[in-house]
Amino acid sequence: MLKVEKVYKSFGGILALNGVSFSVESNTITGLIGPNGSGKSTLFNIISGFYSKDKGEIYFNGKKIVGLESHKIAMLGIGRTFQISEVPEKMTVLENLLLAPKRQIGEGIFNVFLYPLKIKQENEQHLKKAYEILELVQLYNLRNEYAGNLSGGQKKLLSLGRILMSEPMLILLDEPTAGVNPILIKDLIIAIKNLRDKKGDTILLVEHNMKVISEICDKVIVLDFGKKIAEGRPEEIQKNENVLEAYLSGSSKSDVIHEDS
Amino acid sequence: MGLINFLAYLAIMMGIYGILSLSLNLQYGFTGLANFGQVAFFCLGAYISTIIVLVFKMPFIFGLLGGMIVAGFFGYVISIITANLKEDYWAIVTLAAAEIVRIFFLNEDWVVGGGPYQGGSFGIGGIPQPLRSLFSAYTYPFFYLAIVLVCLLATYIVINTLTQSPFGKVIKSIREGDNLPLALGKDVKRFRMKVMAIGGSFGGLAGCLWAHYHGFVSPNQFLPLETFIIWAMVIVGGKANNKGAILGAVIIMIFYNSTRFLKDYIPIEEVTLASLRMVAIGVLIVVAMLFMKEGLIKEKKTIY
Repeated sequence: MLKVEKVYKSFGGILALNGVSFSVESNTITGLIGPNGSGKSTLFNIISGFYSKDKGEIYFNGKKIVGLESHKIAMLGIGRTFQISEVPEKMTVLENLLLAPKRQIGEGIFNVFLYPLKIKQENEQHLKKAYEILELVQLYNLRNEYAGNLSGGQKKLLSLGRILMSEPMLILLDEPTAGVNPILIKDLIIAIKNLRDKKGDTILLVEHNMKVISEICDKVIVLDFGKKIAEGRPEEIQKNENVLEAYLSGSSKSDVIHEDS
Repeated sequence: MGLINFLAYLAIMMGIYGILSLSLNLQYGFTGLANFGQVAFFCLGAYISTIIVLVFKMPFIFGLLGGMIVAGFFGYVISIITANLKEDYWAIVTLAAAEIVRIFFLNEDWVVGGGPYQGGSFGIGGIPQPLRSLFSAYTYPFFYLAIVLVCLLATYIVINTLTQSPFGKVIKSIREGDNLPLALGKDVKRFRMKVMAIGGSFGGLAGCLWAHYHGFVSPNQFLPLETFIIWAMVIVGGKANNKGAILGAVIIMIFYNSTRFLKDYIPIEEVTLASLRMVAIGVLIVVAMLFMKEGLIKEKKTIY
């Protein structure tokens, strides 16, 4: 579904991505891990069109997407969340969700006056869906609260809910469980699994919580210093020498990688 | 007769500035576009309508529509030029654009055909007033007030409907940064263009109403100071609240015109007093910023 081919990116003298290639198969959950500064977020930003690459190609469903503007990439069906939640503070939780659906009739200025009824119907459908998602991410009681008043973890949940509203084919999740309480993480894991199993979505996620990674990922890709150093099933990755080396950078090989949350 | 005519004048000014304030509120309050060149739309609307009605002898309604279209188009063009600029640079460019418009009309008197209509730094006088012959000098201001109020109401309805629609949600998300709307597939540049075009055309509408009320336009009526008076209205009245924008216009206009009466009570020369009103508006902005950051009427929360 998504194919990344030899992507390079440097910022000044720092080579953030050094020829990374991998692919994401449809209807799977792929994890992207690596120490801080290994290029995970840069890769996300390149896939979603927020950064330009220096070299390389990215294909989404066989179509080249590198060089397209980010909103066009989103329209093709790649949805993303941000590491630091992008939440419009002065919009309520529910408004945040209602913002997300693509191609809304009411986004055209003339449509607003020409088709008020259609817009109302559309809005009601979106509302219905938004309520379901709010139940899922457990923000229903906060639906009329300004998003700016939510905690960091709740903002993460809101971001996830919002991306679900926009119904992408490929979802890029940047640390979806960072700052979320452990009990809720369990629900999130189930929710993300359901996306794959029931809705047939494809997910690529950056995550530091190894428990989450090993529980939900079909495949894990490990980056270090902008290079892919390993790829495989979660249990294989945990035993991989290169990976342990990267995470411990030469110090004693304890089992941080097994439990670091 | 004096007082009631003055009140009609004041109400007309409140209406015209209310339209300008609503228009800036759409751009700044809802979309976060710090437009420091709002007066450009005002100026364009006034001049274009004057040219259409006075020089080309067309009916008032064509002047009004023409002014709106040209000012809206100008807003659209500005947003194309500034599409990739960050907020502060964006503000500087809009400020400069407004000055360019003013200086254009200051120097290029041929746009009004020169000759009988003069133009340039002399300004243009004798702008016809719509349906003037049907009313006496005493009743005409009330008729004009009705026109202004209808326009204000129309502006309010259009802008309020837009800001409550899905379109409104998108521009509110743009207000807090481009990243999120882009990630959701919203074409941020296009939305900005639309906002500038709508804002511009309503600014043009206000300019047209202004020109035909006074019957005289001149470039020095469109100094950058005007822009900041409109800003004061939005800040004092309430950012991102359409009723607040109108309330702000009412309050600032009262302040602005209060000096006429104060001269009877305060022993200061009239000229000094006239300059002091700018100080008063400045103080009002500072007070609003310190004690009611969101203005008199806060942004309305959308509750479901």
